[in-house]
Amino acid sequence: MKRRNEFLVGLVLLLSVSAVVAGALWLSEADIGRREALHVARFRTVGGLTPGAPVTFRGVRVGRVEAIRLADQFVEADLKVYQGVDLPGKPAVIAASQSLFGEWAANIVPRDQPQDDPNVRVMLAETARPGGDRWPGATLPDVGQLTAQAGRIATDIAAVAARVQETFDSSAVASLRQSIKDFAGIASKLEHFTTAETGRLTEVTDNIDLASASVLGASEHMQATLARVDSATADGQLQEILGNTRAGTGDLRQASADLREVLASLRAQETSLVRTLIAADSALSRIQSGQGTIGLLSKDPALYNESIETLQEMRRLIADIQMNPRKYFKFSVF
Amino acid sequence: MTSPTAASSHRLERSITRLGRAGLATVQAVADVRTWAPHVIPQMRRLGVDSVPIALFIAIFTGIVLSLLSKYIFTGAVPLYFVGALVGKTVMMELGPVLTGLVLAGRVGANIAAELGTMRVTEQVDALETLAYNPRSYLVVPRVLAGVFMFPVVTALAMGVGVAAGWVTAINLLDLSTLEFVKGLRLFYRFKDIWFGLLKAASFGAAVTLAGCVQGLGTRGGAEGVGRNTTRAVVLGCEAILVLDAFWALVLL
Repeated sequence: MKRRNEFLVGLVLLLSVSAVVAGALWLSEADIGRREALHVARFRTVGGLTPGAPVTFRGVRVGRVEAIRLADQFVEADLKVYQGVDLPGKPAVIAASQSLFGEWAANIVPRDQPQDDPNVRVMLAETARPGGDRWPGATLPDVGQLTAQAGRIATDIAAVAARVQETFDSSAVASLRQSIKDFAGIASKLEHFTTAETGRLTEVTDNIDLASASVLGASEHMQATLARVDSATADGQLQEILGNTRAGTGDLRQASADLREVLASLRAQETSLVRTLIAADSALSRIQSGQGTIGLLSKDPALYNESIETLQEMRRLIADIQMNPRKYFKFSVF
Repeated sequence: MTSPTAASSHRLERSITRLGRAGLATVQAVADVRTWAPHVIPQMRRLGVDSVPIALFIAIFTGIVLSLLSKYIFTGAVPLYFVGALVGKTVMMELGPVLTGLVLAGRVGANIAAELGTMRVTEQVDALETLAYNPRSYLVVPRVLAGVFMFPVVTALAMGVGVAAGWVTAINLLDLSTLEFVKGLRLFYRFKDIWFGLLKAASFGAAVTLAGCVQGLGTRGGAEGVGRNTTRAVVLGCEAILVLDAFWALVLL
């Protein structure tokens, strides 16, 4: 009995200890043989980061937060990082919430990696200032802070709403009521106006109806014309007309070309005519001013008379020569 | 006639004396290793090993109910893998130790109180004293030590079985995969969850066995007194468990 008791107690103890140890190792994803390096990160505040929280690098778990403690005006967190992980040369740590439900992680990032959040940049610069081998750290706001911010915004909106409510007092209500009454009056006038204009609109509508009927008639005539044209087309008459038209167009084009040539020669003749007229004008000017033979003739009547007489005598002489050539010409050989 | 101040002072002095006497008796009892050592293993068997089936039975159904309840609570609002987190955290930190403690308070506390009460009313305890045995060393120390050691052992097994039951339930009844359940289980896990539960269980073991021993050895008046003190032992043990549960939560969380 005694041995049996001892065996049973030992067995239960063994099972229990095994369950605890195996369960703890499995749940914490611990690796017995794995070596870890201890690094210390410095934060202004760690937010929701707690011991045991995962340490990640590019989203992959590479260790855990071992401890957190206050250090002067900062907070220091011991990070146990698996050895063999190729960390950045100058690392920084950003503590952030991993989901809406509160679990936090310490994310290792390169220190020179640009950060979008200006607060993070400020925190990293601030925690890097004391120097040493501590990694600078920053904390992103968690969901609670965002919710608090949203709450403040909601409070502000409520304050604005309250002010609007204060502004919207009894006098404002009275003004609004008066405005509604005025609007009702305007609506009534508009109704009268509409009623008055309705008759005119009816007339216009009737006219439009008539015009529409006329258009309809024209349309029917047009349709009939088109039908006739269609029938003419069917007999080849339209084709013939079109042929004739095409021929006439050709003749017209030819005539136009001829006319263009005539116009070109006329343009040339015009130039020579202009030159001739200029010369004639010059000659007439000289004649008029009494220059030259003709000018002298036109200006001096005695000379003109003498010239006429000379011409008459010349005619008589020629007639006499024709009548009596031997009188004036002698032909001999030797 | 004594003044009220003098009466209070007298009561305080008497209480301190009693406390000192109990402390000395405890030290003497614990120091008498040869008396209590042979009885520890049998008590561990009776109080611990024999309580494993009922503790595991409770744990299995606790795991199942927790899994179903968390599915009911989380539907539509929280990712379902949080079922694993809720089952694990609750079983390890609260329901495992407390429910196991309450069950053992009924079983173990009543057992001890009834056994020692019967020994008291049948004058077996007086016989031990006559034989120069320290009854505290012979009867109380082995039981308390067995309780302190075995409550965490039974609780650890209950934790494992409770989580496993929740896991099986989640896979079969909640359309949840093993990976999702384990993800949730690991999400908020800290080693503190386990040792916190085991530490509480050890304190519950001490409280339940001490309540049983005190009520048993304090039994007066025959069978009726045995029954009354047994009931008191169970009630006292349950109350002590709840008070200690709040105390540890206040101190350690």
